[in-house]
Amino acid sequence: MSAIPYLETEAPEVLVQRQTRSGRVAMTLAVLAMIAVAAMPWWASTGTIRSILVLCCYIAVAQMWNLLAGYAGLVSVGQHAFMGAAGYALFVLAQTYGINPFAAVFLSLLVPAALAVPIYLLLHRLDGPYFSIGTWVVAEVFRLTASNLPLVNSGAGMSLRVMKDYSAFERNVAMSLLCAGMLLVTLGGSYWLLRSRFGLALIAMRDNPVAAASQGVNVAKLRFLVYVASAVGCGLAGAIYFMAQLRITPGSAFDPMWANVAIFIVMVGGIGSIEGVLIGSLIFFIADRWFGEYGATYFVVLGLMTLLVALYARTGIWGLISKRWDAPWFPIRRKLVDPDR
Amino acid sequence: MEWFDALVQGILLGGMYAQYALGMALMFGVMRIVNISHGDLVILLSLIGISMATAWGLGPLPVLIVLVPLAVLMGWVLQKAVLNRVVGSDPLPSLIATFGLSIALQNLMLQIWSANSRSLPGHGIESQSIEIGSVYVGLLPLIVLAVATGLTWGLDLTLKRTRFGRALRAASADVEAAAMTGINPRAVYAMATAAAVGILGFAAVFQALRSTVAPADGPAQLIYAFEAVIIGGMGTVWGAFVGSMVLGISQAIGFRIDPGFGVLAGHIVFLIVLATRPQGLFGKALS
Repeated sequence: MSAIPYLETEAPEVLVQRQTRSGRVAMTLAVLAMIAVAAMPWWASTGTIRSILVLCCYIAVAQMWNLLAGYAGLVSVGQHAFMGAAGYALFVLAQTYGINPFAAVFLSLLVPAALAVPIYLLLHRLDGPYFSIGTWVVAEVFRLTASNLPLVNSGAGMSLRVMKDYSAFERNVAMSLLCAGMLLVTLGGSYWLLRSRFGLALIAMRDNPVAAASQGVNVAKLRFLVYVASAVGCGLAGAIYFMAQLRITPGSAFDPMWANVAIFIVMVGGIGSIEGVLIGSLIFFIADRWFGEYGATYFVVLGLMTLLVALYARTGIWGLISKRWDAPWFPIRRKLVDPDR
Repeated sequence: MEWFDALVQGILLGGMYAQYALGMALMFGVMRIVNISHGDLVILLSLIGISMATAWGLGPLPVLIVLVPLAVLMGWVLQKAVLNRVVGSDPLPSLIATFGLSIALQNLMLQIWSANSRSLPGHGIESQSIEIGSVYVGLLPLIVLAVATGLTWGLDLTLKRTRFGRALRAASADVEAAAMTGINPRAVYAMATAAAVGILGFAAVFQALRSTVAPADGPAQLIYAFEAVIIGGMGTVWGAFVGSMVLGISQAIGFRIDPGFGVLAGHIVFLIVLATRPQGLFGKALS
């Protein structure tokens, strides 16, 4: 037996193109938007800052849900558990223990991280759809525990009175910087993650977990890490949101509304893409301003839209756009280009 | 004595939960689908029943007789219009579709019936009780338990003995192989969902008789049904029944300890079962 001789060939010279023109334009705009958010106290009123803070929280929570459902295949309907947990941790640290509230935002993230580990170890035993309702049960357990826990003033809730030690301008500066930081961590962090080696593994896992595992992707470990990261991201959004609200109760902290918001934004905008989260967040934010006064009718329409997207257009708006125009805002593909041609 | 009373009340409460849990066990067992609007359908049926009772002065039994066929029809339409399009190995589409439906239903009910709590007038049946040993037991909860037992027994027998039951079990074991032997999976699925929602017709009447219903109550019922199914073990009808009893007893004992602790006690027992026996009390251990 002789080995089959291979022809000695040179590897063709190719360039790996990872950025596109549309990507460069979008990146510039994203950086400018981030700077604009950070500089809000110098150009926006307090009311505008509060609105943009809510929009930033939508984007952050939706992207965290997107990471879970769109890439890791973990459909959670209980991420508000971690928002509320971090919110409460912030109030306890700042109000009860007198820690600087702006430092407490970051310290409070330890709570969702520490809670996410045992919760995932319990819930990952549940199959597909049952995992989802399991996450909901966990959020309910958090809400009921908070309602019975004297440390967090039980059902009556807590107020963040220490914030009155800071002037309105100081608070606006802190909020704006926190918002910009949150966008950088959740959106920028996701983009960086998706372009890294982990991103390749995540995308492989999204397309087919079994095939990904056969290629050496540690699916179980990756899912665990994504779950914990998403819990921390939601916690950051929760801490910032409730710091701006100055008040937290078990009902508001563990409000299933956030699950609705995240699912609507990601499904309508387009699951499995950062662009979809941005589009969905803007649509929801504008719809909420314009149609929020219609209350129940507005939510009937939101619910039906989610249903219709799940039935007929699973890739959402971004899916429809990218089918027609190949101009990603946040390109994550690796394209091989022959420089001679 | 107080604890024995809690135990009895828990079993009776479990009878109510069993009526939610059976439909969920059936749908998940057959299609691997969890219908997030499960609880909202109960509430919708309850509110329709209450409106019928007040408009036409119907008693509980006529309401039940009208409501169950209506529920069967609703289940069939739900399967044809929504679930048949999303059934498959990927759990995401069915979850999102029924989640959207749940939000829409809750808010639609809020508009039609307002946020008020209502109940079905039982014409005295809800206040009667009988003495067993030394505890007084409400007649209505006893009827609920008896109906739940009957439904569980009937569903179990249907699955084991009838042609439809064999088709269902075949489709749940392997859809493609079942299709090759001449079973139409979509027709089987439609009948399964119709049966599951039909059982909710019973649950709707008894829920509205036993306590009150409001448009926002659905998610809690969904969670109880889910916990009962997981505690009992997936895929067995009697498992769902026993799981409902365990959940009911946990909640009743929790309420005796502290009124704020009742529902939480049920959740904690669910988490303990999940941690120590993830396949459920009656489920087979995964190899």
